[in-house]
Amino acid sequence: MRGLPAPGLMETPPSNPNATVSAVQGGIAPPMVPIPLDAALAIARELESTGRFDEAWSMLQFILAAAPQQGEALHLAGVVAFRRGEGEAALRLMEQSLQYGIDLSLYWRNIAELYRVLGRLDDAIGAARRATRLAPADPLCLQNQAIIHYHRLELGEALDCSARALAIAPALPGAHFARAEALLLRGDWAEGWEEYEWRFRIGGAAPLMPPTDRPQWQGRQIADATLLLVADQGFGDVIQFGRYIPWARQRCARLAIACSGEMLPVLRRLAPDAVLFTRWDDCPPYAAFAALSGLPRLAGTRPENVPADIPYLRPDPERVARWTARLDGLVPRGLRRIGVIWAGRPAHNNDRNRSLHLPDLAPLGEVPGIALIALQKGARTGQAGGWFARAPLINVGAEIADYEDTMAILAVLQELVTVDTSVAHLAGAMGRPVRVMLPFAPDWRWLLGRADTPWYPTMRLYRQQAPHRWAPVIAGIAGDLAGASPPAA
Amino acid sequence: MNLTAPQLCPCGSGLRAIRCCSQPQGARAPAEATRHLIPLVERALAAHRQGATETAERLCLDVLELAPDRIGALSVLYEIRKAQGNQTAAEALLRRLVGLDPNNLLVTNELALILLGKGSIAEAEVHARNAVRIAPENPQAHNLMGMILTEANRPQIGEYHYRRVLELSGTRDPIVLANLAWNLKNQGRMDEARALYKESVAVAPDVLQTQIGFTRLEEADRDFPAALRILDDADTRFPGNVGLRLARAAVLGRMQRYNEAVALIDGAATDNVALGPNELLEKGRLLDKMGRYDAAWAAYAEGKSLARQLTGHAYLDEAARNLLDRLRGFFIEGRLRTLPRATVRTDVPQPIFILGFPRSGTTLVEQTLSAHPRIAAGDELPLIHEITAIMPRMLASPLEYPEALAELWMGDQREGLDNLRDYYLQKVRQLGVLRRGATRFTDKMPLNETHIGLIGLLFPEAPMIHVLRHPLDIMVSAFSNAFTHGFNCAADLHTAATHYVRVMDLVQHYRGEMALRYLPVRYEDIVAGQEASVRAILDFVGEAFDPACLAFHENRRYARTASYAQVTEPLYDRSVDRWRHYRAHLEPVIPILAPVIERLGYRLDP
Repeated sequence: MRGLPAPGLMETPPSNPNATVSAVQGGIAPPMVPIPLDAALAIARELESTGRFDEAWSMLQFILAAAPQQGEALHLAGVVAFRRGEGEAALRLMEQSLQYGIDLSLYWRNIAELYRVLGRLDDAIGAARRATRLAPADPLCLQNQAIIHYHRLELGEALDCSARALAIAPALPGAHFARAEALLLRGDWAEGWEEYEWRFRIGGAAPLMPPTDRPQWQGRQIADATLLLVADQGFGDVIQFGRYIPWARQRCARLAIACSGEMLPVLRRLAPDAVLFTRWDDCPPYAAFAALSGLPRLAGTRPENVPADIPYLRPDPERVARWTARLDGLVPRGLRRIGVIWAGRPAHNNDRNRSLHLPDLAPLGEVPGIALIALQKGARTGQAGGWFARAPLINVGAEIADYEDTMAILAVLQELVTVDTSVAHLAGAMGRPVRVMLPFAPDWRWLLGRADTPWYPTMRLYRQQAPHRWAPVIAGIAGDLAGASPPAA
Repeated sequence: MNLTAPQLCPCGSGLRAIRCCSQPQGARAPAEATRHLIPLVERALAAHRQGATETAERLCLDVLELAPDRIGALSVLYEIRKAQGNQTAAEALLRRLVGLDPNNLLVTNELALILLGKGSIAEAEVHARNAVRIAPENPQAHNLMGMILTEANRPQIGEYHYRRVLELSGTRDPIVLANLAWNLKNQGRMDEARALYKESVAVAPDVLQTQIGFTRLEEADRDFPAALRILDDADTRFPGNVGLRLARAAVLGRMQRYNEAVALIDGAATDNVALGPNELLEKGRLLDKMGRYDAAWAAYAEGKSLARQLTGHAYLDEAARNLLDRLRGFFIEGRLRTLPRATVRTDVPQPIFILGFPRSGTTLVEQTLSAHPRIAAGDELPLIHEITAIMPRMLASPLEYPEALAELWMGDQREGLDNLRDYYLQKVRQLGVLRRGATRFTDKMPLNETHIGLIGLLFPEAPMIHVLRHPLDIMVSAFSNAFTHGFNCAADLHTAATHYVRVMDLVQHYRGEMALRYLPVRYEDIVAGQEASVRAILDFVGEAFDPACLAFHENRRYARTASYAQVTEPLYDRSVDRWRHYRAHLEPVIPILAPVIERLGYRLDP
């Protein structure tokens, strides 16, 4: 997963207040058993920390019925609501907890993260600053503040906050990672890559691989032994950093790659003679290992020397023939075929910022002479059913079985318009024309302020000029499509 | 148990239910065992002939209490109930007679006529086909087929059977000629129809139905003075006849002489002649054109209410919900990926499906497209619906549609969809839809969008043009016209709205689960900018633009559906936003429709 664990921290508070709660709930009349508030809260905290959110929620409702202004219960209920995916409810509860006069830095730190997730960046930075003022020696407050600054594209402040956090706690992985993202986005890749290595040490991050006694590869030649690459993070990362596989291949006798099944078609093309495996049980012996996402560091990549031997991915001719026929049946030849993807995987921690809703793309539907070909996969595919703009939208996502299909379709389409998702990388790696819609604070790899990218010469970037403001981005693309200007020269 | 009050059958036959419609299976006594009742049956017959109805009825009831399957007594009782106008009982008795004696042409004929009369066309067709099986050389059997298939919108087949009647009878019966004329009018063959009407009227000038049919022909062919001349003549033969008055009102309405038209209808009302449901709806439509909206709505409401009373038609809520739920459950992405698709034939013209709720503008789109030299008009083809009915048989499945499609996973049914596709294409050929030079034809059966999933499997490359219109305008139209599509949903406003929303939700589901060649087109856009819409549709269909499509009202092809009077006029925008006049009356269905109105991007504020 790109970006790794949830960036901001959401912690539960310690307990203290003394009170009792009477076990009376609406509707039912169970025996009246007074429970000390402390004990009740302890139970709720325990339930929350073990992931039993529904039970925790019931317990907290029960406490709040008796003590509706109990700040800690309100706050904890907010945390639980957040964990249950109910952002607005969480915010209401946390705001109430603050309203009842409890001015804990922890509360401000948590609500700042919530504001950030909900896209209220002004409130988020206000709350984060307040948390930092209340607890100037707490590096986590500074770390969260750094992340919020990143999302406001205040990179100087972000670097400052993470530096201050690291002055207090030099080995705080989250602060290093926040610093890495700001440096990389700014184009300071030499230092950025080093800080980026902290990503595996962030609490809650999925380990790269099972424990091993082999060393991490440092880019030196491996004679007569196998180098293991782990195709880590999201599919887009694998496609993007897959370009380094030939480079790594030249530096070892044999190559093995651990990957998920979906990535097999892509990796087979990049490493025809490598051992590809999808289960650790099948891992061959190896001399050293490296994360695929770590190769740009080892190769000494800088914005001006990005290896871009495009195309480095090519579709399967048989699939291209099949999809050519299918699309000819579905889309009249006279219309330009524009691929669209409006959402990434909902599980991605930045999905709220990077994905949009299909109806947002309505201005594209007014461009004459085009047909939109939806390559959308996953839970948001269903939105295709609600498209009623003038340009037809053909939902081929429903017939895409794997990335082989996606590559073949990209080869047949005139171009692709997409949010920041793996298929953007696929199109770029194939040298297909592609327009990418980026959130205000994009992923570091897209750098700042430019419409092109050193990673993919056929890609054009359309950036939000203010957080969550997609309309101008989409209007810009619609204008360019209508003017038939290609994504990149 | 109450022994004193016999449990009479709800059908109204006068028999106990257990001796009538609720007779236990296998309780039938051998005819031999009740032979001693024959003299009673004979007495009943004699009494009935002499007009002693009460005696005849008593005798029949006595006999049937002892021997419920005595055909003679059932026949007499049927005659009595029919004469009394008790249609439910008559129909129930007739069904029992047909069941007891399936090779009896007479009762089969009667039953088919009753069913046709009450609009149960599909069931009527079953019995008409039986009639032909019983007596393949009998003119009346073919006449039944002629009438029923004409009504079932397969006039080409109907024409064949009418011509068989003429052949077999060796005479030119004026009624058959008039029936055939009506059939040809429905095929748009106006001149042939006119000649037959003239022949029929010359021989039998005093047949009211012929005169009305002839008028309707002239009206449809836009010769309004001729229509009025026929009516003038008919009025001298049938003074004060309400049917003629209504026909005249319709002609005057099309001549935009609304005041006279409404005065005629109101005159009928004050003359104490009860208006039927169609008359009431016609009156409402005329009032609408005059801008008297509240009065128009009242007429519609009365017409709909009367129709419900007379036909017993009500929305088949459970059946509709059941089918739509099953379709939604069956057509899902994962399953669709495992199902084959029919291959695409390149040797015969291919369909364009024009989808939409009745009264949403499908006729307009068809008229527009079929003005194109390469596109023939298929009209409302009942074939997709037919395929859903015969699918279990064709695929040798114990399951119904859509679950029967599971047979496509069997080794011997991999080509099942090709067979169903060919069934459709072959019927299209038989129906005479295709014409020279056409490489495509339209199928504008309303609510075919219910079966988008199936269409996508059978014709994976066929364009589907879904005509959208403001849902409230559709409701106004549905309430002011009669149609039985969509499980009789138009029997009432509320059920029309319910069905509309159900189908639109299902369409959304299909589109989310399947790759479809689907284009939504707004009726309002066609009205506001015809050429742009026509070009977009033709682009999507894959045909070059042809200016003939813009002058579709000069397309002499006659569309037989309720919209015909509108598509023969140049485009007008009076049909857009009509709902604003009826906002208050539509209030009850707005909560049902609001989500779809919003999804489609229509507005609710005036």
